[in-house]
Amino acid sequence: MVAQLFLNGLVTGLLLALPALALTLIFGIMRFANFAVGALLTLGAYAGYLANVTFGLPLPMAAAFAALVVGLACVLCDELVFERLRERGSITLLVASMGVSLVIENICRFAFGNAARSFDLAVARPIRWNGIRINYEQMTTAGVVVVALILFHLLLSASPLGRAMRAVADNPSLAAVRGVERRTVARITWMLTGALIGIAGVLAGLDRAIDPLMGWNYQIPIFAAAILGGLGSPLGAVAGALLIGIAEEMSTLVLPPSYRQIVSFSVILLLLLFRTNGLFGAKAVRK
Amino acid sequence: MISYLVTVVIFVAIAALVGLALNLQWGLAGLVNFGVSGFVALGAYAVAITAPHVGWLAAMAFAALMCAGLSMLLSLLTIRLEENYLAIVTIGFGEIVRILLLNEGWLTGGALGISGIPRPFAGMTPAGWGDGVILVFAVVLVTAAFAFSEALVRSPFGRVLRAVRDDPTVTAALGKPVLALRVRAFAVGGAIMGLAGALHAFFLTYIDPSQFTPIITAYAFMAVIAGGRGSNLGLILGAGSIMLILEATRFLKDIIPWIDGVQLSALRLGMIGVGIVLMLILRPQGLVAEPKRRYGEFFPKDAAGPAPNRALAEGGKA
Repeated sequence: MVAQLFLNGLVTGLLLALPALALTLIFGIMRFANFAVGALLTLGAYAGYLANVTFGLPLPMAAAFAALVVGLACVLCDELVFERLRERGSITLLVASMGVSLVIENICRFAFGNAARSFDLAVARPIRWNGIRINYEQMTTAGVVVVALILFHLLLSASPLGRAMRAVADNPSLAAVRGVERRTVARITWMLTGALIGIAGVLAGLDRAIDPLMGWNYQIPIFAAAILGGLGSPLGAVAGALLIGIAEEMSTLVLPPSYRQIVSFSVILLLLLFRTNGLFGAKAVRK
Repeated sequence: MISYLVTVVIFVAIAALVGLALNLQWGLAGLVNFGVSGFVALGAYAVAITAPHVGWLAAMAFAALMCAGLSMLLSLLTIRLEENYLAIVTIGFGEIVRILLLNEGWLTGGALGISGIPRPFAGMTPAGWGDGVILVFAVVLVTAAFAFSEALVRSPFGRVLRAVRDDPTVTAALGKPVLALRVRAFAVGGAIMGLAGALHAFFLTYIDPSQFTPIITAYAFMAVIAGGRGSNLGLILGAGSIMLILEATRFLKDIIPWIDGVQLSALRLGMIGVGIVLMLILRPQGLVAEPKRRYGEFFPKDAAGPAPNRALAEGGKA
């Protein structure tokens, strides 16, 4: 039982890792917490649904399509909204991202209605191993996320683009002096983070029914994961996501399952009280 | 038709109360609160649970006090952090309230909610006058809240809050207790949100968790942004015009026949999102900009004292 919950938690955590990573990267470059992350996740799930069910594409193609759609949506939001408000400070950007979130959610509702939908998948029998049940969706999620994370880590740590992204997050003026253009790097970052969220949306659609409010269920755990890792720290976000996922699933041993979100919220509160920098750095205290 | 108009006016009143509260927290003190729906829900449930036992006045006082206390705790927890974190904690708070209301059925009735909430003065008025009484009640409540907010804006407390919003470091350097001021502003705002929830409960006489979605928060932000941050008059206009637009677009269905109910509601809600973003980009000062208050407004000429310099003379940046 405990081992089963641990495994479920690990997979939930891996699913949270992609959007948490996206959130933290955007925070690094734009200096605001993007509240539209939940709505973008929903958009990814619907884009995957459109490709998979309406166009009849296989699921990997659908995930690629979702990554592209959400990536472009992010670039568009940046171009139309966030870049224009960048000088006005993080509160304005926060409020604007709430507006953006409302718009995206309702575009999905307008196009697909409120009914719950799911992908066109053959039902597969779960694998049993030492009394633990592992189903096909969990294996897919784990595999896809691990590959995506490794690729992203290589990109951030070993490519010129990754170096430029880290430079801009660290100190935009200094990066500009060295010929790294903030605007271009920001666009690429939005595109990449959008792709991460899009893939996560498709994986979330494997896990549960797709409806216009599905992103809300992930919003608080995603933020908890990013704060746990210290906003702005990519590695921290992934570690935070795993911890949050495991903590949420394990909590069902002592709490009713409907209270899982309270675990994330308590983690946020405890962290803000006792360790404001998260587990891996990043300053949170007002200057 | 009359009862429909009454409903619209009361919804405007509720939105105006919530907006005034958010204007105090965000517009005046610069503290972003994304958990508005949670506070409104708490106020409504506090009234629904206590009003049958202690009467409406005590129930409302209880709702306001409880929301003020919780706001205080929440802001104390987070207030020394960056704005981003306060926003995250408050949005989490809103969700937690909704989950608790849904799951603690012994107290809140769970998804079924609470019905039969007694209205104020219900026993003293002839039958059929119920809506009129609640209408007067709502208008009085909003007027009182408006007068209170305006008095607050002009008071020394309001002045120092604007200073905190515009530059906390300078304010702290001048010896003002920035943290205590922020906590107080957040608590007063929370209390007004609780009162808005109370009005909601009294009017509908039936509440359930589905009435308190984050969309309430979005409306409140839209009202404050449209009206102009820090401007109470603008806020009333903003809240009124949003409710008008929302109600007017209900009738779009008669004009565009191919649109179904879900699509129409998606269109209306999406419009609020577009409105928030457009106003922020195109007209950040809102419909009625926060008035620039000068030294002379607070201290008339005949009062003694040396002429202040310009920086001191302005109560705050617009």
